[in-house]
Amino acid sequence: MKFNGKDITELLALNRRNFVKLILGGAVGTGLSPIPWKLADDTAIWTQNWPWVPVPPEGEYVHEKTICKLCPGGCGIEVRKVDHRAVKIEGRTDFPVNPGGMCPLGMGGLQLLYNEQIRFTSPMKRVGARGAGKFVSISWEEAMAILVDRIKGLRQAGQPAALASIDGNPGRSTMSVLIERFMNAVGSPNYMRIPTSEDTYSMANMLMTGNDGPMAYDLENADFILSFGSGLIEGWGSPGRVLNAWKIWKENAAQKKITIVQIESRASNTASKADQWIPVKPGTEAALALGIAHILIREKLYHSEFVDRFAFGFSDWITSDGKDRAGFRRLVLEKYSPEKVAEITGIDAAEIGRLADLFGRARAPIALCGRGKGFLPGSVFECMAIHALNALVGNLNTPGGIFLHDPLPLGLLPQLEPDAVAAAGLKTPRVDQIGGSAHPFSQSLIENFSDAVISAEKSPVDTLLCFSSNPAYTMPDGGAFNKALQKIPFVVSFSPYHDETAYMADLVLPDHHYLEKMDDVVWPIGLQYPLYGITKPVVNPLYDTRNTGDIIIRLAAQMGDTVGKAFPWKNYEEVLQVRAKGLFDHSSGLTEYNGPEAWSRISEGGNFTPDYKSFDEMWKKMISGNLWYRPAHRYGNWGGIFKTPTGKFEFFSMQIDLAVDEASRQQDKETVLMSMGIHAKGDDAFMPHFESLVSEEDHGHYPLKMVPYEMINLSSGPYPNPPYLNKTLFDNQLFGDESFIEINPRTAADYHLGQGDRVVVGSSRGEVQVRVNLFEGAMPGIVYMPLGFGHTAYDDFLRGKGVNPNRIIAGGRDPLSGYSIWWSTPVKLTKI
Amino acid sequence: MEKPRRSSLKFVIDLLIGLVLSYYARLISNPLQSGLAYFAAGLIPALFIGWILFPFALYSKQPQPISFNHALHMDSDIADGIEGDTEAEKCLYCHSFRDDGTFAGIPKLELCMECHDDPDSPLGETQAEQQFMTEYVAQEKEVPWLLYSRQPDCVYFSHIAHVQKGELDCQVCHGDHGKTLELPPFQKNRITGYSINIWGKNILGLKSNTWDRMKMDDCAECHTQKGHEENNACFVCHK
Amino acid sequence: MENNLAHGHRFGMVIDIDKCTGCGTCMVACAAENNVTVRSDESDKQRSITWMQLYKITNGKAFPHTEVSYFPRPCMHCDEDGHGHHTSPCVTVCVATATRLDFNTGIVSQIYTRCVGCRYCQAACPYHARYFNWWDGYKLIQPFPKGMERSLSPEVSVRTRGVVEKCTFCHHRLMRAKNKAYAEGRREIEESEYITACAEACPVQAITFGDLNNPNHKVSQLIKSPYAFRLLERLNTKPKVYYISKKDWVREMADNYLPGEFKPISTAAVGSR
Repeated sequence: MKFNGKDITELLALNRRNFVKLILGGAVGTGLSPIPWKLADDTAIWTQNWPWVPVPPEGEYVHEKTICKLCPGGCGIEVRKVDHRAVKIEGRTDFPVNPGGMCPLGMGGLQLLYNEQIRFTSPMKRVGARGAGKFVSISWEEAMAILVDRIKGLRQAGQPAALASIDGNPGRSTMSVLIERFMNAVGSPNYMRIPTSEDTYSMANMLMTGNDGPMAYDLENADFILSFGSGLIEGWGSPGRVLNAWKIWKENAAQKKITIVQIESRASNTASKADQWIPVKPGTEAALALGIAHILIREKLYHSEFVDRFAFGFSDWITSDGKDRAGFRRLVLEKYSPEKVAEITGIDAAEIGRLADLFGRARAPIALCGRGKGFLPGSVFECMAIHALNALVGNLNTPGGIFLHDPLPLGLLPQLEPDAVAAAGLKTPRVDQIGGSAHPFSQSLIENFSDAVISAEKSPVDTLLCFSSNPAYTMPDGGAFNKALQKIPFVVSFSPYHDETAYMADLVLPDHHYLEKMDDVVWPIGLQYPLYGITKPVVNPLYDTRNTGDIIIRLAAQMGDTVGKAFPWKNYEEVLQVRAKGLFDHSSGLTEYNGPEAWSRISEGGNFTPDYKSFDEMWKKMISGNLWYRPAHRYGNWGGIFKTPTGKFEFFSMQIDLAVDEASRQQDKETVLMSMGIHAKGDDAFMPHFESLVSEEDHGHYPLKMVPYEMINLSSGPYPNPPYLNKTLFDNQLFGDESFIEINPRTAADYHLGQGDRVVVGSSRGEVQVRVNLFEGAMPGIVYMPLGFGHTAYDDFLRGKGVNPNRIIAGGRDPLSGYSIWWSTPVKLTKI
Repeated sequence: MEKPRRSSLKFVIDLLIGLVLSYYARLISNPLQSGLAYFAAGLIPALFIGWILFPFALYSKQPQPISFNHALHMDSDIADGIEGDTEAEKCLYCHSFRDDGTFAGIPKLELCMECHDDPDSPLGETQAEQQFMTEYVAQEKEVPWLLYSRQPDCVYFSHIAHVQKGELDCQVCHGDHGKTLELPPFQKNRITGYSINIWGKNILGLKSNTWDRMKMDDCAECHTQKGHEENNACFVCHK
Repeated sequence: MENNLAHGHRFGMVIDIDKCTGCGTCMVACAAENNVTVRSDESDKQRSITWMQLYKITNGKAFPHTEVSYFPRPCMHCDEDGHGHHTSPCVTVCVATATRLDFNTGIVSQIYTRCVGCRYCQAACPYHARYFNWWDGYKLIQPFPKGMERSLSPEVSVRTRGVVEKCTFCHHRLMRAKNKAYAEGRREIEESEYITACAEACPVQAITFGDLNNPNHKVSQLIKSPYAFRLLERLNTKPKVYYISKKDWVREMADNYLPGEFKPISTAAVGSR
């Protein structure tokens, strides 16, 4: 075929020219179509929406109220939810403890809830080696059956005492009552509690005032705060409340109305932000307190009416059988002159005089004992010496002073009737030797427990239950507790988290996260008015976990017999109701709070009408507001508040005297005192006195002292540190996987150490490797190491980061109480 | 100085146009020889792909889980209770604001059942209604509606600021959705994942109504028109 | 639209350094509020993201006269020069118009989807308040940290790898407050209705937030204090974050003074005013 004289096939041949035209046509066509422009736009959008980046779903905003349970402080929190997801925790303004403020740990609580890697998602049975954290998931039925069979077996073998438990729930909480009841019903006396500062406070208070429970501080109304090492802004007490008190003080300080003095060896935040910092040698705080007492007495700055009429043992006295005994006045005047105290403490005699003068002349002074966050027990005699200062100025039960309280009248659970097996079991001596003469006022000593298990050929404990605690990490014993755990045939953990103790367990019965469960908060420590809180679940349980309270009731039911009968409740909520009923029956309080601040309206005598009429109404209101409190206090009345053997405030503790007398029937007094760890001679032993920390370690070998310190932004207790808190740490506290010690540049120079150098800190218990942070605020000769690092469990956010000072702490035992001493370990440094 | 330059520019342009036109004339006078056929063979399919196939392929089509008749519910004679002086008020009966001012969007089952719990309410007559009753109401399962107007995660849009404060009608952005007898299929852009309603049904992005497109420029255009230029600040609509 | 901040709102912050305890609650509250990512190694401070950052300072004196203190540092939301020309250093350099100073609120915005990740703004910011995302912090396909995405707030969009982010003065809280006001038929919001997450969380209430253009707001009164100052004030960046400290050594830390250049405030002189 021809076209215009040419062959059409030739014309239509796909030659180079035509091919180019074809492509060009296609390109022009595409260019004239929406393809390039739309694709460019869509591709740009595509790069903004990667499929792996989560898009948080929208929904209805709901705010649920409850109480934070990450420490015993009991701050009110509000959880912001989007539909069913909790997205933020905020402080509550309608809760009297913390008017809106919070601590960083509480703020990070959701990361503990949602981080699946640190939570047990169901009951677990161990399959790997102990400590390796290898588990297989099992059903609740199977898990319960394993435990029930085990305990039944012990009871059948007549060895119920081979069941032991360690409880980290706060004292007097319903959980602790329930656990102790379970132990008693089974027939084991070996119910142990994690030691806390509350134990030290309670013991000192009990020995001097006879009151059961820790003292309360009317901080907000005080005008002179003499803090012997309490980290007031580093988490001490109930952080939300104390930080709020700090705010009030700071606002008053601007008008020169209040003075805060911090006594501590290191320039901590509290020391720096206080009006005055007294850098005392660590461990000599009691001597300083007694030095101040010396001047108060010598200069007659003490409250003579209180001391003369309502105190015992101030002056020398004579026993009923005619023996002369020394009094506190003589002890202090003879042995704690400012010059002598200056030598012990490193504080100028004139400075001591000035402090005493300020303290003695203040309108409402408070002397506080404690260390850091106040989680760890301290020295009982030191606490007594500081308590004595408060008594000297007569600030007990006065506005802005120290309040003594009766315990909350919570409902009692019905009398327990142990069967023959249990009754026999309860008579067995405790593994931790409580009940012996050595530490008559302590409630449990896990240190003794570890020693007993390690030294015995066969562990006296067959099954150990661990509740709300992580002793494998928190005990300062160079790993003794861990060694003991290895020897105990069967360990059960109720922890919701993959903590060190749970990793050693054979069986895990995971509790809910605190935002998933109902529980109670009994009178946050140090609060000046009674408060009882009920937490409620604000999110549905995410995993197959159960409230340990319910599980104990079910365990008991499955045990049957008298054990089952001792737990007649359907669930834990019913137990909480029994307890709350006591408040309804024996007291009156309020269930709603909406300012003014509870501390500012504490009414004299406190005869006020409750804001509820029936128990049902009270309970309903408590569930919605989580709160029952009683802003009331009976001031003064010094004649009737002391429950000591003498009915007075005892500078000379008759209870120690009686206990020593009792024990002296079998052995001589010296030996008894030595067995209690008391080195003081004569009557000093019964009064607040200074015991220098005589360590068995060779001072030539370990020339320095290691003092651990706590930070409010690093969880050092049983709960894991939320990852967000890692942001708040400085890179001279943690860098990579290495944590730092703080030492004074002068001390560092002695060891030729520079900033960031690696160093081994060795004590008689072991060695840890850290890096050096030069800090002018560190006392020369002291090595400061933070508590809260060095986890071996949990996930990548925590595991293997820094070192845990508990591994090398070897401070001996506190005289009288027998608790480990955290705050002074002889160490040496070796540069590497 | 100005004049000669302009004329020389004009001369160049005229020359170029002349060249193009004469070349084009040669092409069409002899399309085969000039290779225009090949050009067209490239051009026409490309245009076909670009204008017809591409828009079709770009969007996936997905029916809503069940059919819903907006018009029926907006008819006060039929739907008891859904009343209001303005159309917006009627819309707000189901698509309501919460107390905190956030927009609840598509109602939950609970709200549907507020009316339909009444045994007199005519539900379950059509097949879609039966499906609604058995698959969702009976099983207490929320209907997984597909959202036509969902904005991406980087966008913050406050309904109340527009409806309550700005006094805009729902129609301005949502068109006649309230008058539809059944739900149109949900069309999703396969690249961006966005609904077709954001770019608009017109592949060119041309619009004749305010609701035809919901891109950033459309928001800004309206803000400017209404004298609220300050609302074109980035953070007003981005989060 | 007015091209300066003389009209409308000018949100700002006053932080009382003497009250601040360095507890870090502000940092945690900020991170939780704003979906800030968290990595297993947060000690690498060049990579970790902290919109609110605490800086620890010491007076440099030898034991026992050492004192420590803290500067909480959000974004300073630097102002314009009064004519709308020279604005914040970051805004001036941004090549993508991803960050702008909003003349109605005084807030410096940051639009993640607009940011091209050149990090010019990061270099320009004298306060180190800007952070680059080196990784995707939340990943659904690689579940790390597993399950943590469940606590993400829909009020703030999740950032992807390759963009810069910074403190927004919790701008979404302003939107939240506005929504509430509209729902209640109001057009203006109250002082207490819009505060940042850090100010709300501070347990000693060291942080005050409000409108510097409103003389009734507490911030406007606080900045009149002779002890009020700003960081690196002499750079003329006009930060809207003020600090208050009665301690001379703290105030001296706020800028790079030559020896003898810093003028301490005599307490007596202030008292007699």
